[in-house]
Amino acid sequence: MDMKRDYYEDVRLFGSKVVLFWFLVLIAFLGFFPFLFRNYYVYLANYMAINVLVAIGLNLLVGYTGQISLGHAGFFAIGAYGTITLMTSAHLPFLVALVLAAIGAALLGFLLGLPALRLEGPYLSIATLGFGLTITQVIGRIGFFGGRQGLHAPELTIFSWHLDSDRDFYYLLITITVILTLVARNLVKTKVGRAFIAIRDADIAAETLGVNIMLYKTLAFAVSAFYTGLAGGLYAFVLRFIEPQIFSLLMSIIFLAMVVVGGLGSLFGSIAGACLLSWLDLELRNILSIPYLGGWLEALSKSYFSITGVSNIQLIIYGSIMVSIMLFEPLGIYGIWIRTKLYWKTWPF
Amino acid sequence: MGELVQTLVSGIAVGSSYALMGLAMVIIYKTSEVINFAQGEMALLSVFLTYMVLEYYHFPFYVAFPSALAFALLLGFFLEFAVLRRAKEPNVLGMIIITIGLEMILMGFVSWKFGAEPKTMRFPLSPYDSLSLGEIFVSSLEALTFVVALTLMTVLFLFLRYSKLGIAMKATQQNKMAARLMGIRTNRILMITWGISSLVGCTAGLLIAPTIMQPYMMWDPMLKGFAAAVLGGMTSLPGSVFGAYIIGVVENLFGGYVSIEFKSAVAFFIIVLVLCIKPSGLFARHYVKKV
Amino acid sequence: MKKTTFLLLAVLVVFLGLASICTAEEGVTDTTIRIGQWGPQTGPAAPWGAVARGTGVLFQMINEEGGIHGRKIEYHMFDDAYNPAKTKAGVKELQEGIGIFGWASGVGTAPGLAVKDYLMQRKIPWVGPAAGSLHWISPPQKYLFAVYPLYYSEAKILCKYAIEKLGKKRIAIAYQNDDYGKNGVSGAEVELAKHGMKLVAKVPVELTDTDMKPHIMQLRKARADLVLLWVAPGHAVRIIGTGRAMRFTPQWMSTSTCSDFPLMMAISKGLWRGVITGSFAQLPDSTSPLMLKYKKAFEKYAAKGERWGVFFYAGIGFVEPMVEGLKRCGRNLTRERFVKEMEGIRNFKGIFGRIDYAPFDPNDPYCRQGQKELFLIQCEKGGKAKSLTGWMEPD
Repeated sequence: MDMKRDYYEDVRLFGSKVVLFWFLVLIAFLGFFPFLFRNYYVYLANYMAINVLVAIGLNLLVGYTGQISLGHAGFFAIGAYGTITLMTSAHLPFLVALVLAAIGAALLGFLLGLPALRLEGPYLSIATLGFGLTITQVIGRIGFFGGRQGLHAPELTIFSWHLDSDRDFYYLLITITVILTLVARNLVKTKVGRAFIAIRDADIAAETLGVNIMLYKTLAFAVSAFYTGLAGGLYAFVLRFIEPQIFSLLMSIIFLAMVVVGGLGSLFGSIAGACLLSWLDLELRNILSIPYLGGWLEALSKSYFSITGVSNIQLIIYGSIMVSIMLFEPLGIYGIWIRTKLYWKTWPF
Repeated sequence: MGELVQTLVSGIAVGSSYALMGLAMVIIYKTSEVINFAQGEMALLSVFLTYMVLEYYHFPFYVAFPSALAFALLLGFFLEFAVLRRAKEPNVLGMIIITIGLEMILMGFVSWKFGAEPKTMRFPLSPYDSLSLGEIFVSSLEALTFVVALTLMTVLFLFLRYSKLGIAMKATQQNKMAARLMGIRTNRILMITWGISSLVGCTAGLLIAPTIMQPYMMWDPMLKGFAAAVLGGMTSLPGSVFGAYIIGVVENLFGGYVSIEFKSAVAFFIIVLVLCIKPSGLFARHYVKKV
Repeated sequence: MKKTTFLLLAVLVVFLGLASICTAEEGVTDTTIRIGQWGPQTGPAAPWGAVARGTGVLFQMINEEGGIHGRKIEYHMFDDAYNPAKTKAGVKELQEGIGIFGWASGVGTAPGLAVKDYLMQRKIPWVGPAAGSLHWISPPQKYLFAVYPLYYSEAKILCKYAIEKLGKKRIAIAYQNDDYGKNGVSGAEVELAKHGMKLVAKVPVELTDTDMKPHIMQLRKARADLVLLWVAPGHAVRIIGTGRAMRFTPQWMSTSTCSDFPLMMAISKGLWRGVITGSFAQLPDSTSPLMLKYKKAFEKYAAKGERWGVFFYAGIGFVEPMVEGLKRCGRNLTRERFVKEMEGIRNFKGIFGRIDYAPFDPNDPYCRQGQKELFLIQCEKGGKAKSLTGWMEPD
């Protein structure tokens, strides 16, 4: 552990040259990723990147400010629907529509933050849960949003760059994700982030020290909603088709799980958690085609369970991974990472 | 007039099944401050095992139902003992995620064993018979649910308030450390709590099963029960029951007179409004943090 | 010298190899045709997953009989949990990983819509999506062949029967608030308008609703004497049950989605008796030679615990036209050829109704709607179905 000598050393974007080096390596890897892997993995990476954005946004709220939300699928939906309708009805260019929709989500986030000033724990979770459910109901009701029939995403062009493949979209998405991750890192390192953390740890103490609780709590909701809305707008173009039922309560719960499994109050954790859970989400369906294990599971289902329900093993594995990570380490993947690092740093002592 | 009365009666009838799930969630939250998202699926497992005992092995009801309740009790003990207690330095969110994980595991297990197709289970009462009072109808199953919910609430309320165990539970909730110093085995108290809660949940499940029986049957009642419990104050047993009735009645009134589409959403809207005025629900004393 | 000959030979071999790869269509080899399908095996929509498993049994039977012109069918089915993101992932993985010749059936409107553009842009044939949505044929797509009769047409047929044969005057509908239900509502409205009538009540049912009393109150208030149930089986049963408990017993009608009578009778504890629904396929106890053959295949290949329900053998029926198209192509199988042969299908009769396609015409949606006819059945004691009509087409 190196010693920090002044404040600026603490708020610096990269702690040391080593960190900067690894960051550049990561960027280079991300840049070459589509050339190294099949197109399917690019799609997978896109899906992960979306979830990383949401997880970072949600972590700012849950992990840093200590507010729970079970309604983030609602912001996600607003981003997705807002972007598409602004593009098709108001003929705005994609990036403008995306940012406007995200700002719309942020405004709603601010509004949802107001009751949150007085609520906590289960009360807040029910309030946010209700928000998530209501948003999809309302969207499904309004014909302008395609109602329950859903909406198709329009063609995507940025200036003269026509993005029609997953690979093109990947570069856009990764750029946005990296930038927003850095923004989030700056945010938590500076005044705003410190205010968030102060609220999380002791809100009354924070208030006596002059932290404007009303401002920062609603700000946390707004920023979090902004990230999620932006991710939602991008998701609409990953899927190219949206309908209200996609944005279910289960989605909100999985978002929350990403943050907690990754590690509360850690951006690295959010990234890891989002990647792990979205990878499991998409890849677990292949569990039965793994050699040996697949056959064994099938034999097991034949004799003790039902073969028609064998796919539900996915749920069991997904759940078990979540439970075991949380049992083993309350700080999630981030905690495991810290422990491993510490072990090797101090090895052989 | 008859219509209005019918709407109110229907609301109370549907509220009863929310009330049972709400009670189950409150019992756990009261002692351990864990929001148990696995509540519905714990009941689901017990109900499906009952189904197996009844339909595969043809046991009579008087064997199947008591053994279901006994199993539910043991399941609650087991989950607390084997999973929840093993959590290292747990925080509230971590516990929530553990229960969500458990929910998935139990759901996966039940769907794996029984498949996704809807099932039907024998039950002593037909869910489609009704009692009538003039033009007002209520199905006999719902009448039973109503009676069971009120009875369980009263019994649990008295139990928690006057029995030795109930007072120990209260002590555990208020200050775990102090309770331990006073010689209360808090771990055991938590385990018993989970058992009782699972038992109440199983009762709710058994009363829902005659009308709908498939792996996803408990998800919605669990959410509504949770909402009811929050409305009632999350720590108050009578509160959760009355919260459930309020939700049921509001849903039915809204569905009948305003818009049937937003019926489910309006309950949550009402809750947000109520929470804005009373942040700790209707029936719980507002807890003011002392600095 | 020897070296150059060897080199030449090597070049020749490589060249020939490349050439043969170029001529063969993606997903087709000398001995196999790769066909994919998605179907929910987990999640709330899992009961529909039987469709995808039914298709598997048909392909197994065909392979056992020697395949199609010497090519065995390699069937790749995956679970998408009715989640469009997963559908898209699975389709991409299979399509880009191993190469799929064409896609068979596939459950659900939303999952299908998420991959429709992807498949159509790559000109990959897709036959028989398992949902009667208007989305498949409006606008028609060259490579997408719908089989399932439109929910819209089904509503028209049911209403016509209700008015003309049953003499009902006050028709109401309870519909699932999504694409499926709304198609039903618009079909019913059009047909009723033709007879100078209107729906006396339109009651939306949300997927998450469990309490049906408000719905029954509205239907009862409208004094409906016939109610169309455009909802999922679970909801249909709850509506009828709640209606029974509240002494509201009009004639119930429902869709082919709820036409699995043995199942419906079981979960409704007998209340389903007397309900009229549409049916797009022969009845489960039909004794036509084709059905008997499939049933035998079912007994031979289906997993233990599988049930010979409507949706299981619908999975067979949805892909029958595809198999027919493949057969007509002969040895020389390419996608373009396949589409051409599919367009030539007229009066094809499998276990479904009559199926016709027509050459692609962007202005005629029905050139890609294979089956247009349905017949009506009524549930009798013990879950037996009685045919009320012969095959009917809406006018």
